[in-house]
Amino acid sequence: METNPAFDKYMDYYFDYLGLWDSPSKCGLKLVKRKDGKTLAIATEIYRQNPGTPVTEVVAPLATQILKTSNETPVNFIFIEHTPDLRSKLAFYGETFDRVGFDWNGECFTNPSWTRLTKEQVDKMMEE
Amino acid sequence: MKFKLIYPRWEKLEGQTIFSLPPHGPVVMAAAVPVQVEIDFTDENVEDLLIDDNVDFVGISMMLTTQVKRGWEIADQYRKLGKKVIFGGISTMLHAEETMLHADSVFLGEVEGRLDEVFTDFRKNELKKIYNYLSKPPDMSLIGPANRDILKKDLYYHKGFRMVDLFHASRGCIYDCYPCAVRYLGGRGFRPRPIDRVVEELSQLDNNRLFIVDNSLALDTNWEKELFKAMIPLKKKWVSHTIEDKDEVLDLAAQAGAWYVYQAVFDTSDYIRNRIKQYHDYGIAVEGTILLGLDNQTEDDIKRLVDFLLEIDLDLAEFTVLAPFPHTKAYSDLLKQNRIFDKDWNHYNAGKVVYQPKHMSPERLTELYNYAWDTFYKDEPQTMKMFNLINRVMSKELNDGTYTPRRRDLANLSFGKKVTDIV
Repeated sequence: METNPAFDKYMDYYFDYLGLWDSPSKCGLKLVKRKDGKTLAIATEIYRQNPGTPVTEVVAPLATQILKTSNETPVNFIFIEHTPDLRSKLAFYGETFDRVGFDWNGECFTNPSWTRLTKEQVDKMMEE
Repeated sequence: MKFKLIYPRWEKLEGQTIFSLPPHGPVVMAAAVPVQVEIDFTDENVEDLLIDDNVDFVGISMMLTTQVKRGWEIADQYRKLGKKVIFGGISTMLHAEETMLHADSVFLGEVEGRLDEVFTDFRKNELKKIYNYLSKPPDMSLIGPANRDILKKDLYYHKGFRMVDLFHASRGCIYDCYPCAVRYLGGRGFRPRPIDRVVEELSQLDNNRLFIVDNSLALDTNWEKELFKAMIPLKKKWVSHTIEDKDEVLDLAAQAGAWYVYQAVFDTSDYIRNRIKQYHDYGIAVEGTILLGLDNQTEDDIKRLVDFLLEIDLDLAEFTVLAPFPHTKAYSDLLKQNRIFDKDWNHYNAGKVVYQPKHMSPERLTELYNYAWDTFYKDEPQTMKMFNLINRVMSKELNDGTYTPRRRDLANLSFGKKVTDIV
């Protein structure tokens, strides 16, 4: 059913993070320094290549961890969650992009909320 | 030391059979308990639980999300009596944070080789709040045989007919299927047990009929073939999830005693039609498991799917609606879209709609779910179809000399209760 996602324009390298119950976990990551000075992070769920917790389940601590490695401020940090197309017979493994909004409590992101984006919208956000 | 092990009750789906199978998690757990500990087991689905202080330590083993609230209730009562309570099992892992609020300790992961530590800590009054082995699966050669001596076996008979025993030959799964949490529970790899250990346990089982509960038997062709070859002399008859669609594998499965399989039917394709026919060609019956309410299903799709099931001559069918269990992709997707409106875990029984379906209202999906059950079993009721399956296995057993007549002394009992008392 499932193929593994390959590196593409939305994924430059693997990023290691601690998932639920400290499980070693991995996602794809692309960081784009935009013309407007903001940082756009795209975290890609890599399914079978991820030995631990999926991106969605720990999205707030993961975004916090990525923010800290990017030396960006929370207000200038844009986070997008990406699931690649696995070319499955089943309909649930198509490509999706969601912009994830958070609250910032002074130390970490909390209260994630997702807004679906098209690929075109993401491409445009990378160019802004 | 007396360890009270409890398997909480849950409410069955309206359309399901009344059968209660001996649970698997508690017997696997019991095998890892230090031998000097006395285990007193209660399966609340077949007997009443008496909560008293005549125990030293309490364990609650939970498999289903619909067990967790009852499990928490039991724990709260024991803790009021001053007893320490530890939770384990599949739905403990799915609901770990909430369960910790009702527990002295929570065990995450697989127990083999790990319970000596837990019982030693208990004796020293140093029980840890959490034993986290989720990312550390045990050596597969440590697994089994399960300790089925804790079961009150006479309670798992219906009118003298014995239920199947549950058994497993592997753990984990390479797939990440939409409604399934096995990736989180058992890891992303397929972990087969050594075949000699599987055969050793199978040959000790006094029940000729089994349910092999592995997530799938279609994950490693060579292991699957070796397993079936090794099982042939045991003459067991068994139910399982999917078996690989290669002819040589199905042939060996049939020889090894494959009785019927649970096969997911997710569309009306020729692939599914041929898959069912292929099982039937090898004398293996099929119970279709049909998940309703997926985002690619319209009302018409569901009706077409039910018609298709009748066309392809399924032996049994079990319909469920999508239940977005925590730690599944279904849960993540619906959460992202803010479509989950009901978080009462008692409603996560795969018969109640707890989320907003894409193409219809929750009420309409409930109607279609009832329509599916009613339509599939309209001409031949579920009890009759089940009876046909039992006849089939009985004739196989009579042919190979493994048939055990039903227990006359239990003929008036159904899961420990008088047949006349069952409504």
